[in-house]
Amino acid sequence: MSDTGRNRLMLAIALVMAAIYLFPLYWMYITALKSGSEMFATPPSFWPSQPQWATYAFVWESRGMGRYLWNSLIIAFGSVTLITVLGVGCAYVLARYRNVWVDVGLFLILMLQVLPASLMITPIFVGFSQLGMLNYPRLAVIIAIAAKSMPFFVVLVRATFMAVPQELEEAALVDGNSRVGAFFNIVLPLARNGILVSAILIFMQAFGEFVYSKSIIQAVELQPASVGLNSFMGPNTNEWNNIMAYATIYVTPILAIFVLLQRRIVSGLTSGAIK
Amino acid sequence: MKRLLSSVRDGSGFDIVLVALPLGFLFLMAGLPLLYNILMSFQEVDMFSLGTFLRPFVGFKNYTDLFAQPETWPILGNTAIFVIGSIAGQFLIGFGLALFFWVNFPGASWLRGLFLVSWVMPGLVVGAIWNWILSGDFGVLNFMLRETGIISGNIFWRSDPNYSLYAVIMANIWLGTAFNMILLSVGLASIPGDLYEAAELDGANAWQRFWTITLPMMRSTIGAIVSLGLIFTLQQFDLFAAITSGGPNNSSNVTQYWAWDLSFRQYDFAKGATISVIMIVFVMFASVVYVRSTRHEVRG
Repeated sequence: MSDTGRNRLMLAIALVMAAIYLFPLYWMYITALKSGSEMFATPPSFWPSQPQWATYAFVWESRGMGRYLWNSLIIAFGSVTLITVLGVGCAYVLARYRNVWVDVGLFLILMLQVLPASLMITPIFVGFSQLGMLNYPRLAVIIAIAAKSMPFFVVLVRATFMAVPQELEEAALVDGNSRVGAFFNIVLPLARNGILVSAILIFMQAFGEFVYSKSIIQAVELQPASVGLNSFMGPNTNEWNNIMAYATIYVTPILAIFVLLQRRIVSGLTSGAIK
Repeated sequence: MKRLLSSVRDGSGFDIVLVALPLGFLFLMAGLPLLYNILMSFQEVDMFSLGTFLRPFVGFKNYTDLFAQPETWPILGNTAIFVIGSIAGQFLIGFGLALFFWVNFPGASWLRGLFLVSWVMPGLVVGAIWNWILSGDFGVLNFMLRETGIISGNIFWRSDPNYSLYAVIMANIWLGTAFNMILLSVGLASIPGDLYEAAELDGANAWQRFWTITLPMMRSTIGAIVSLGLIFTLQQFDLFAAITSGGPNNSSNVTQYWAWDLSFRQYDFAKGATISVIMIVFVMFASVVYVRSTRHEVRG
């Protein structure tokens, strides 16, 4: 077989596999557009006969999604800010030196990265309640997420700093920069892209975070969209078109960011996670 | 004082400040809770003693009580099935896809990256979608299985105790396959191509090349991915909350959900802490394996 023929065949198989894999996503978008009776039709329709665009406005209004998404945004931005401020410097130092202490630090950080959130929430909740932190539930969640996600961020950003040639920093020091000056004027701008991609990854994680928010935030008006979705899905729900509309509104921004920045996100992820 | 300031501005003090602040934060917010967890597992904790550190010390009572409960062993068994099933599914499908996309064709890397959308979606949304797909009477999965003749009657994935755990495993395989595939692709790309050329000259067929070159060269990658998979599956909570809530009758309950359920539904914080301690020991073990298998790369 010729090369182009082979390429076309491979591409066709790949497209079919991607279509099968992404079917759940398609099903979410399609179900959101179905009417109440079409949703329960047998056999199910794979294309909505009369797209119900009004469902989105209805769900947005009736579930108060604006407030939920706003809380998700606050929590995500808060955690990303805290993680970036603390984590960038840590990653820089761990990339700059090679000795036993750096190995120990990295090992500790990797260890903290693996603790499941649903197991850590018990002591965190009890501790926070003793400190009175539960009166500021969103701040408490931001701090808890920061502690959970920072190790991952440090590992990713450290890989970025490793790629910055150390000679550039040394040259800046010879030219009379202080360490602080060299860090902010030379090293940080060079690592900007990697830091940005890692921050976006952390943002997407924090935007969908559930365990901490569910356990710590009791007041409905402070809960993020993930908790809102959970309380929307009762055990015997049959409003699946509305739930899928909610899910669509919730994930479409994340999916858009991901598809736009896909290449960078994938390469940033792979450089840190395993190499 | 002045020397200290100038060291922070232009000396090793700068590095120490940069690394001490985050490590201090991590110690306060992740290290201390870990220790506190161990302390609580030896205490009697209820709603009234929540506000004090000086709770009655009960020794190993929480541990013995826990293992005297009839649901403990089934739930530990479920956890093992969940972990093994999820990792096996994610790894095998992920490896298959990675091998497929390894054959380079135009658009391969873009399409491969597209698979990762499952990984960036909030776990609860993935759970909601699968909850609907797996629905007993109107779920599209049952429809497809009926049409292809695999089953004759509907399977009630979420409410049948024989299937509920596998419903969550299915969703979890979908969620994690793409991540496995991406990391395995990186490992495949780092195998030097001339090894295959040499093997081909020696007359090795594709099957032999896979067993004698690909698999041995991927050993450290595979070790890292399986231990990462163990870590990630033990973190999986959102899918349980969204699909089965551990039910019916604990048939799909796993330790990480059970620990939360005990603490926040039944307010038995001591039991929740006890399970957490047991599971964290397991996770730590997995992460030591992970760190060991990536160590030479971390240094390089």
